[in-house]
Amino acid sequence: MTEILRRHILGAGVAFAGTVAMPAILRAQTGPIKLGTLTPLTGSGGSYGPSMATTVKKAADEINKAGGVLGRQLLIISEDDQTSPEAGLRAARKLIDIDKVSAIIGTWASAVTTAVVPVCSQSGVFLSTVSGAEPITLLPHQGFLIRTQPTTTLQGTKFGEFALGANAKTVAFVSPQTPFTDSQFAALTKTVTAAGGKTTSLIYDDKKTTLRTEVDQVLRGKPDAIVMGGYTNDTAVLVRDLYRANYRGSLFGFGYSVNKQLVDALPPDVSEGIYTLSPSPAEGSNAYKNVSRLLGVDSPDTYSCQVYDHLNLIAMAMAVGKGDTGTIIKDNVRKVSQGGGERVETAVDGLKLIADGKKVDYDGASGPCDFTDIGDITDAKFRYEQVKGGKITLLKIA
Amino acid sequence: MVDAVLQALVNGVIAGALLAIPALGFSAIFAVLRFPNFAIGALATAGAYIAWVANVTFGLPIVAAIVVAFVSAAILGAALEYGALERLGRGGALMKAIGSLAMAMVIENVVRFFFGNDLRAFDLPLARDLVFGPIRIGPQQITNFIFALAIMVAVWTFLSFSSLGRSMRAVADNADLARLKGINPRLIALVTVAVGSGLCGVGGTLIGLDTSIDPLLGGRVLLSVFAAAVLGGLGSIPGAVAGAFVIGIVEEFTVLALAPAYRLAVGFIVILVVLVIRPSGLLGSKAG
Repeated sequence: MTEILRRHILGAGVAFAGTVAMPAILRAQTGPIKLGTLTPLTGSGGSYGPSMATTVKKAADEINKAGGVLGRQLLIISEDDQTSPEAGLRAARKLIDIDKVSAIIGTWASAVTTAVVPVCSQSGVFLSTVSGAEPITLLPHQGFLIRTQPTTTLQGTKFGEFALGANAKTVAFVSPQTPFTDSQFAALTKTVTAAGGKTTSLIYDDKKTTLRTEVDQVLRGKPDAIVMGGYTNDTAVLVRDLYRANYRGSLFGFGYSVNKQLVDALPPDVSEGIYTLSPSPAEGSNAYKNVSRLLGVDSPDTYSCQVYDHLNLIAMAMAVGKGDTGTIIKDNVRKVSQGGGERVETAVDGLKLIADGKKVDYDGASGPCDFTDIGDITDAKFRYEQVKGGKITLLKIA
Repeated sequence: MVDAVLQALVNGVIAGALLAIPALGFSAIFAVLRFPNFAIGALATAGAYIAWVANVTFGLPIVAAIVVAFVSAAILGAALEYGALERLGRGGALMKAIGSLAMAMVIENVVRFFFGNDLRAFDLPLARDLVFGPIRIGPQQITNFIFALAIMVAVWTFLSFSSLGRSMRAVADNADLARLKGINPRLIALVTVAVGSGLCGVGGTLIGLDTSIDPLLGGRVLLSVFAAAVLGGLGSIPGAVAGAFVIGIVEEFTVLALAPAYRLAVGFIVILVVLVIRPSGLLGSKAG
């Protein structure tokens, strides 16, 4: 092969590659902005994931109808994390490597989020989560992570105060192994022992269909109150077995596990009196009403409210940063979530103001949505509820 | 401590009796078809849901619902074998085992499609436990235990005294010899799969009666059932029952000695130990 011919072929090759690559670059700037939802459509979070994914999709439709972000449409790609870290990681890789999303919204179980954080931050993809485990925001995420769920340590403290308020002196913490079990038990113990009480803990296997022997173990410590740290399905098994074992003390559970589904699945006298604690969405706010309208339900769950806020924040952060990358979202999310500006409750309103060159401060369906440097929310309210006559009734929001 | 041990023993016996029913089904299928059918967990789930529909939607009594679960799981299991798994047979036992895992996922997701992920409970009052000295036991557990024993006796009678049962054992023993005797091994295989699947459906229903029903119900006990069958000797019917009781009891005792989170390891350790020390299992002769 002559030198000239070789040069021609090389040159033609470069020109060809350039031509092929060009539309891709153009497409990246003019095509839809891709965002992923990674929610538990199946597995123990399966009762929340579908409505979370629907909320994001419908909220994105509204943004698109109003003209999209930076004149481009939002394309939401929904994946199932199966409430499993392995499946969640696989799905995250697919969203990042194949779909090329700029952000992933909605990981629910703390174990899934823990698995997904490193790939997101390494790939420069923004992650917004509803997981509460304390260590998540301590991971080296380089700012690519925010969460709207209060930490489980805070929840552990609140559980302790709640139990003490019900005159409990000996509190047992009964939970499957989760990334937040230890931090939560530590916070609970600190609160209860400070008031002169004592705590015990038992970790069970959440795949068991009966927890009789575990219940016997727990009841040997004669607890006045039991804090249940599991998810809905295993908590149902635990509550049934506590009832059968004639336990008469107080029961406390997370709002996400002692929910309508659990109450409906158990005879009324079995679930009667269980106290629940959950992060409170901002009921009465316009954003909350929007989620309610989008889902067609009167009281949407806190996770649907949280992912609604995630999408709005991400859309506005991209508008402020004038780009669609994870880094731009990371650098601008706090510019739209806090720090003053015109208060907005939807991205549709916020995007108009941003286009007019105004500063916005988003208050969402889940709360004020202000974040610390490591991505935790700064303020959270809790709903204190109790099961009465087969219904979950509100005691107070504080 | 004695109280705790006694209580764990009682809990273990009851858990073992519940495991024994699907373990019987699993072992029977293995005996005749020589492959581990991992769809049994999903069949148990399907059976439980069908029984739930019969009980809650149509108001049938529990015993009738159990019969409905048996028949429907039997039809479903036979349909899977006839429609899909049998065709994979040429690829060997491993291919069928993988195929059965795939079928399990399909069934589980079909159940999820129709019923969602919500927990369901049978239309039964939940009774407080009866207390006998240091031991407590639930009325529903006693009923389930009696059901389980009755089903085990029925299976044993069927295999020992009915001509169909004897044909099944003959095919399990030596399919070619059975063919010479005029038995159609393919038909017998289908009947065995139907009976085995039906037993799984009943097992799932009994577990659902004791706890509640969700799409992962069968999947959760799959490992324990498999461990019970391996321990007893794959393909051995009395072995499956013995294995189920041992696994049930050991799993409950583990809670006394170890953190309960390690219970799941029991199944794996049992499988490992059996495979290393006595691959044919407790009561298996040449199977394994």
